[in-house]
Amino acid sequence: MGKDECKTMLDALNKVTACYRHLVIALGSTSDSQNLREELKKTRKKAQELAVANRTKLTTLLKDKSISKDDRAEYERLWVLFTSSMELLEVDMKRSLEIGQDFPLKVPTRHLIQTGMTGSTTTVAARAMSVQNMKYEADASIDTVDLKELETEIAQVDQMMEEMEMKVQVAPWAVEAKQEAGAELKSTVSVGNSSVGVISICEEEPKETVEGETGLMKVQ
Amino acid sequence: MTINTLSQDGVQRQQMPCLTKMERMIISMQDPDMGIKLRNQRLLITVIPHAMTGIDIVEWLIKKFSISDEEALHIGQLFVKYGYIYPLKEPRNLILKADDSPYRFQTPYYWMSTRWPASELDYAIYLAKKNIRKQGELIEYEKECYNALHKRINHTWDFVVMQAREQLRASKQRRKADRIVLECQEQAYWLVTRPPPGTLDNIDYGPERRTMNTRVQLNAEFYKKEIEHNRISLARNRVKSSICLESYVKYCEQYQPHDPIMQGCLPSNPWITDDIMFWNMNSEVVAVPTKLRVECWSFSFMELLNDPMGRKEFLTYLEKEFSAENLCFWQACEDVRHGETSKIPEKVDEVYKQFLSPGASRWVNIDSKTMEKTLEGLKHPHRFVLDDAQMHIYFLMKKDSYPRYLKSELYKNLLARAIVPQETKKSVFPFMRRQRHSSPSPALATQTGEDDGKAKNSNSVKSNSGTASRL
Repeated sequence: MGKDECKTMLDALNKVTACYRHLVIALGSTSDSQNLREELKKTRKKAQELAVANRTKLTTLLKDKSISKDDRAEYERLWVLFTSSMELLEVDMKRSLEIGQDFPLKVPTRHLIQTGMTGSTTTVAARAMSVQNMKYEADASIDTVDLKELETEIAQVDQMMEEMEMKVQVAPWAVEAKQEAGAELKSTVSVGNSSVGVISICEEEPKETVEGETGLMKVQ
Repeated sequence: MTINTLSQDGVQRQQMPCLTKMERMIISMQDPDMGIKLRNQRLLITVIPHAMTGIDIVEWLIKKFSISDEEALHIGQLFVKYGYIYPLKEPRNLILKADDSPYRFQTPYYWMSTRWPASELDYAIYLAKKNIRKQGELIEYEKECYNALHKRINHTWDFVVMQAREQLRASKQRRKADRIVLECQEQAYWLVTRPPPGTLDNIDYGPERRTMNTRVQLNAEFYKKEIEHNRISLARNRVKSSICLESYVKYCEQYQPHDPIMQGCLPSNPWITDDIMFWNMNSEVVAVPTKLRVECWSFSFMELLNDPMGRKEFLTYLEKEFSAENLCFWQACEDVRHGETSKIPEKVDEVYKQFLSPGASRWVNIDSKTMEKTLEGLKHPHRFVLDDAQMHIYFLMKKDSYPRYLKSELYKNLLARAIVPQETKKSVFPFMRRQRHSSPSPALATQTGEDDGKAKNSNSVKSNSGTASRL
C-alpha cells in the first residue's frame, strides 16, 4: 500500500536527518576530522536521495484526485512531516557549509574548538547509511572540494523546496497531529514503521544527571 | 510546515560584528601554544578533557590583551552570556567566576548566531528529548513552553516526536563521555537562546522581515545593480570619529545650559512644583522672552526658524532690509511640504503667482538653473517640487541675512531686554511635602472605591530633598 511505503521512506529520511544533524554538531570541534567530512558528505547524499524519492512518491499520491478524504488527510500529514524534515536538512546543510568554511582541516595550525568531545562519529554515520561499518576512501582535500559540491547541493535543495511549495497546495494549519502532548514518553513505537537494521550500544544510562556534578579538577 | 525564518536569496541576515569578534577570540584561545591551559574533568568514572577554570580564562585574557582585571572579567562574562563558554558546575547560572569553577567551550554549531536564529521546531524537539530523558520531569517553565509549542506547531508535532526519538538514538551511538558533553552543550545552548523567565534576553534579532517578493533572479542584471550599489556605498562620505566626537562634545557643551534636566530650569520645574510659570514664560507669544531662548537663536539658523517668536523677529528684521519675501517664500514651501496632499496643486500655484512668476509682487532671487528646473516641475506639481528653490533661498538667508541679524541692533536689544527668571523661593519649612493629587481622569471617576487607596499611595511618594516645594 502506498501509505506504508511512504511511512517507511519518511522514517528513513527522519533517521538520516537526525544523524546528519548530529554530525554537523561535531563540525569544528575536536571531534572533527577528515573522516567526519566524508561521513557528512555520504550522509548528505543519502538524505538527498531519500528526499527526492519521498517527494516523488508523495506528490504522485497527492495529485491523485481519486483518493478518499481520510487518505488525503493522511497524505497531507505525511507531507507536512516531509517538509519539516527538509527544513531541518536545509538549515543543517547551510550551517555545515558555513562551519566547514570557517574550520578547514589542512592548515598549519589547526584551531578546532576543544569542546571535550574526542570520540569518533563513525557509528552515527553507519546508522545513517544503514551499514555495519563505514568505509573511508576520500582523499585529503575533501574539506575544500566537498564544500563546492555542498554549495550546488544547497542550491538544488532550495530549488526543490520552492517547487514543492508551488506545486503542492497543502495547508499546514489543516493538518492535525496524531500524537498528543507527551506521546514520546510512551513506548518507542514510532509513527511509521521504524527500520530495524541499526547498531545500538546497549550501555546503561547512569541515574545521576550531569548538572550539579562536582568534578574534581586535575591538571592535565 | 513551520514558517521559514530564513529569508530567500538576497536578504540574508548578517552575523553581528561583536559576535564575529568574540568568535575570533575563542578560536585564538584554542592555539596549542598560546591558548588556554586545559584540564580534565573527572565525573565519578568518566574523564572528560578540555575543561578550564574561570581564573584561567581571566588570566589568559589579561595576558593576551594586556588589560586590567576588571576588563578581563567583563569580557569573560560576555563569553559566558553569549554562550561561547558554558559553566559546568551551575549550568543555569550564566556568569563567569574568577575562581576554580569549571567551564568548557561550546561547539561552533551551537554558537550564538544572528544568521541562524533557533527555530520553534528545534526547541520543540529539544524539549521532547528532554521529556523522554527525564521521564516527564521537565522544569515548570519548560512544561509551559512545551504545551504552548504543542499548540502552535501542532501540525508538525508527529515530526517532533519522531525526530526527538531518532536524535536520541543517534546520540546513543557515541561513547559515554561524548554523550555527556553533548547533553551539556545542548542544554547550555538552549539556556542561552531560550532563557528562563526572569532572565534577560541576550540578543535582539531585530524585526523579522517577511518580504514575500524577494525572489530575485540571480542574473547579470541583479549583479550589475549590486556592484553599482556597493560602489556608491564605498564612495559615501565618511567622517572620522575623532572629528565627529569633537563636534559632539562641542554640541553638548553648547546646549548644556539649556537642558532642563542637566541644568535645572528656572523658575522651577513644573513637574516637581506644579508651578507652570516656566511654560508660560516660554510660550509662543510672549511680551518678553527668556534670555536662554534668545541665546539659543544664535546657535544655528534652524533654531531661529523653529521658534515661532524667533521667526517673527527675523521677519521684522528682513522687512527692514527689504528681503522679507525670502522668509515668506520659505514658509510657503514648508507649508506645501507638510500640508495636505489635496491642497498641493493650489498651494503651488499660489507660490508661483506670488514668488516665482516674472513680475511677481514678491519675487525671490533664485539662480536661473534652479528656476528652470522648478518651472519645469511645476507642470506636474507634487509635494517636493519646490525643494530645490527652497533650499537655495534657505542657504541665501543662512549665509547672508542670518549673520547680519545676529549682529543687528534689533537682536542685541532683544537680548538685553530678555529676562532671567527668578528661582522660586524655597519654602521656609523644607521638609514639608507638597500634597500630591492625581489629575482628574475619566478612568478614576468610575473607580471610586480604589481612589482612596491610590491617593494614599501617591502621598507617600517622596520628592527630591533639594527641590522647591510649596504648600
